[in-house]
Amino acid sequence: MIDLVPEGVRWSEDLLDRNAVARDLWPGGTLRFWKGEHAPAPRIVVWPSTDAQVHAVLRRAEALKVPVIPYGMGSGVCGGARGREDAVTVDVKALDSIGPLDTERWTVDCGAGVNGQHLEDWLDARGFTLGHSPSSIWCSSVGGWAAARSAGQFSSKYGVFEDMVLQLRAVSPTRGPFIVGEGGDAPDAWMDSLLGSEGTLAVITSLRLRVWPKPQARALRGWSFPSVEAAVEAMRGLMQNELWPAVIRLYDPVDTRIGGKTKPEKDPGDRSFLKELLHAVDGLPEVRKRLLSLPLRLPGLINEVFDRMAAGCMLIVGFEGDPAVVAASERAGNRILTAAGGEDLGVAPGERWFRSRHHVSYKLMPIFERGGFADTMEVACAWSQLVPLYHAVRDALSPTVVVMAHMSHCYPEGASIYFSFAGRGDVDVYDATWKQALDAVLAIGGTATHHHGVGSLKAHAASVEVGAAVAGWRELKHLLDPKGVMNPGRLYVDVEGIVPPPVAFKPEPSDNLAHAHALANLAERRDAGAPREPLWDWESFPMPPRWQRLPWQTGVIEVSGTVDGHAVRLGRAPRSAAGPDLRGWLSARDPQAICTFATAELGARWLGEATCDRPWEVARELLRGDLRPAVLNVVRGRLRVGFRGAAAASFGAVASTRVPGGLAEIPWDAGSLPSGRLVPCEPGDERCAMTTPQGYFRREHP
Amino acid sequence: MSSHRLDTCALCPRLCRPACPVASGSAREAAVPAVIAGVLFDWQRGLGDAALAAKAATLCVDCGACQAHCHLDRPLPAALRVARVELIPAPPYEALRPIEGRGRIVAIEADERPFAKALSRRLAEPIRRWPTADRLGVAAIDYPVFENRLSELRATLADCEVVVADGAVAEVLKRAGVPFRWLHEVVPELAAPTGSCRTAGSKPAACCGAAGPLAAHHPEDAVRVGKHWLARTEERRVNDARCRNHLVAIDRTVRDALDLLLEST
Ligand SMILES: Cc1cc2nc3c(=O)[nH]c(=O)nc-3n(C[C@H](O)[C@H](O)[C@H](O)COP(=O)(O)OP(=O)(O)OC[C@H]3O[C@@H](n4cnc5c(N)ncnc54)[C@H](O)[C@@H]3O)c2cc1C
Ligand code: SF4
Ligand code: SF4
Repeated sequence: MIDLVPEGVRWSEDLLDRNAVARDLWPGGTLRFWKGEHAPAPRIVVWPSTDAQVHAVLRRAEALKVPVIPYGMGSGVCGGARGREDAVTVDVKALDSIGPLDTERWTVDCGAGVNGQHLEDWLDARGFTLGHSPSSIWCSSVGGWAAARSAGQFSSKYGVFEDMVLQLRAVSPTRGPFIVGEGGDAPDAWMDSLLGSEGTLAVITSLRLRVWPKPQARALRGWSFPSVEAAVEAMRGLMQNELWPAVIRLYDPVDTRIGGKTKPEKDPGDRSFLKELLHAVDGLPEVRKRLLSLPLRLPGLINEVFDRMAAGCMLIVGFEGDPAVVAASERAGNRILTAAGGEDLGVAPGERWFRSRHHVSYKLMPIFERGGFADTMEVACAWSQLVPLYHAVRDALSPTVVVMAHMSHCYPEGASIYFSFAGRGDVDVYDATWKQALDAVLAIGGTATHHHGVGSLKAHAASVEVGAAVAGWRELKHLLDPKGVMNPGRLYVDVEGIVPPPVAFKPEPSDNLAHAHALANLAERRDAGAPREPLWDWESFPMPPRWQRLPWQTGVIEVSGTVDGHAVRLGRAPRSAAGPDLRGWLSARDPQAICTFATAELGARWLGEATCDRPWEVARELLRGDLRPAVLNVVRGRLRVGFRGAAAASFGAVASTRVPGGLAEIPWDAGSLPSGRLVPCEPGDERCAMTTPQGYFRREHP
Repeated sequence: MSSHRLDTCALCPRLCRPACPVASGSAREAAVPAVIAGVLFDWQRGLGDAALAAKAATLCVDCGACQAHCHLDRPLPAALRVARVELIPAPPYEALRPIEGRGRIVAIEADERPFAKALSRRLAEPIRRWPTADRLGVAAIDYPVFENRLSELRATLADCEVVVADGAVAEVLKRAGVPFRWLHEVVPELAAPTGSCRTAGSKPAACCGAAGPLAAHHPEDAVRVGKHWLARTEERRVNDARCRNHLVAIDRTVRDALDLLLEST
């Protein structure tokens, strides 16, 4: 054992430590634990505290052919960090430094082992926020967020976790320590592959993240809709009108009814019938267990009863940030929601949701205690597929489990659906339920995971989804971990036989999507997008790397092409966490690849121009003041700021007050965004072509 | 243990982990409250071994932060106390020593520093000195046998004005129902600017690792928790001598109210 642990590295082979990291929060593992079955404990646990120590451990493991399992906080719900008897678990929690915070650039450096809530508290004390708020913020690590491509409750404003990462430090057995992103010494393309690699390529050791000042205003409201369909239309309207709400969460009729989300807030003494019943049988554990496991034995019936009881659904919509921007966004948002048939329920439901937003995590334990299992599944697709996907997965789940859902994490192109389900505590039922559900998602063309990642649970589904493009991950694996010691058996597995090309996805006009060749020039893409215009008019593909873009500036959505003669289609949804983002790799490899990109209606638009000193600095301040212009550039020394959608004129008016001398309205001209790799520059540099809250960029090759 | 169900905590997605100073400071997954509960739950249902359960139950400074964080208000700290009593034999504690000297106030001396003498100089009045080598036997505080000690303390200190500088002594007196004042309350200018956890009121706060069973059973983790605590604060002043004695071994600049008193007199 000692052979495995280099000098100076803290380690333990105490069963207490080995058992503690044996199980992550995969509910299948929790069910087995409840039944008295223990997860396999690794041979040893190590806590390296520097990159050099991580490297020393990985090299030893590689030499001795011992599998390595990186472990953050074990909150992964897919078994990605679960133990193996022959493995060394690398617990990253000793990599726990926070800071420095760069208050000028709005960035923070932080160790991979830092607890999410600790980081947020630390930032909060200094007037900043990361804007990443997964329900697991209390029980997950920053490195785990990167490794499993986490998404938080405010993703439609701040982006998903990979939108926040500016720099990532990692260590692989062969390459040793390296940096990607800002100031990186490794190829830019590695960033997309490391995010979502779930410990199969390298150990992530620290990150530099984009942060924002704490929001000065927050406006949350509840809306009631007669149907899921009507509410989905409203959600699409909010996103395609570029209002960027921080929160959009639609509870389906069952969740709305069961969760009591349309009712006024209860006083603490007020109990529902179910709670009264629970209370009455609390002292009689056996009776309680049997009584409450009854519905789990008759899921089909219960789903039907719930369906009949349910009526209407609840949508929570929230804006936060700069007060003037919040007010303008909310006004326009309210008009869209009302026009779509929503009934305004006021601020109480929104505020209630905000206060209890992490409490949902407490709801699953009682189901296990009563002899059942509870789990969640988060899928995603384009807007036009959302309701069919919702019904398909519900139908697949309903015979075996009681199911409800909410829709959240919205993008101009689509959204995700989060199913919560509970069933009889039987391992076979559990496994069968997952198989049915994943098959249904893949058949309809959605992604098997929007943000929970893959682990072991979804390794087969993710491998089918990614298909032959898994070669992109293998290429990097060969460079970083040629002996294959990093988290083997997780993420991707060999799928037997030829995988049939997944269902062809045909976007509806409402998706605002268009296709173009990966090598198409600007004019060709504009033609392909007509009669709409590209949402983000990049000069060419590829766009700048993610850390040089703004979180809301999407690049391509879906990329389809061929790898070794096999058709592949990546990015079935606005976002997928089925492993690393291999779309860049595919479009670079296959010159014939077709890219789907988002477009915008030629509806309400407002463009203003100003002659001012240091225009790029003014532009950057607009972004830092929470405005999200569709156009932000400097043309012949004049600043141009443009907005699209229902609040375009109001945003224009807000922007005008922030530009010295104001903005004068001019006819719309979307201009274009610089592509390829950008180079940081000074704001006064005449080659400056883009700004983010973090700084200024010019093209690498003018 | 029947009154202290651990099933909910054992199944919990480790939600109170950021509140727990031992989990945060030690970086050990084994110290996460829900993980400790899992080990004890296995032991309760006959699937785990008692030695392992004892090790798990002592990865705790008994700060109450997990319960304070818990949306379900699960009494995990109490369950851990009960488990420790069941799993670990009661530690022996020394007989109470005689109170020395005369005066209105009794100063309980829990370390080698001349607390009574310094306080006497500061207040310009005679102070009685009550030395204790094992902090009045705090390690046995949760065991039924300790009831005798508590009665003894009530009898000995009846009608005394008691001043303490050490958190463990304060805990014992609190349990006995004996009224006392902290040194920094008697001489407020000695108080640490931001207070320190146990002395700052009832709200649980991050602990430096000195309290509870941790230091005796897992000394290396207690030091890690102390280092973690120091790394996250500029503060080098504490009120509690127990914290000071623990932290000073990690950072010599840490001082408590008693250090300041000694320096000023
Ligand atoms: C109650 C609950 C609510 C949740 N809610 C959300 C939510 O709202 N949004 C969301 O996105 N997720 C959610 N999750 C899932 C989970 O929190 C995320 O997947 C999270 O990113 C995992 O972080 P972790 O530190 O716990 O990683 P772990 O579980 O420890 O590891 C996850 C995977 O990443 C690898 N890994 C971990 N750290 C590193 C590292 N430093 N370097 C390389 N590989 C590493 C592991 O090997 C494993 O494969 C929830 C989970 C629970 C239990
Ligand atoms: S005290 Fe509450 S939060 Fe902590 S483990 Fe128990 S149930 Fe979970
Ligand atoms: S009482 Fe404190 S130290 Fe003990 S488990 Fe709870 S939070 Fe951790």
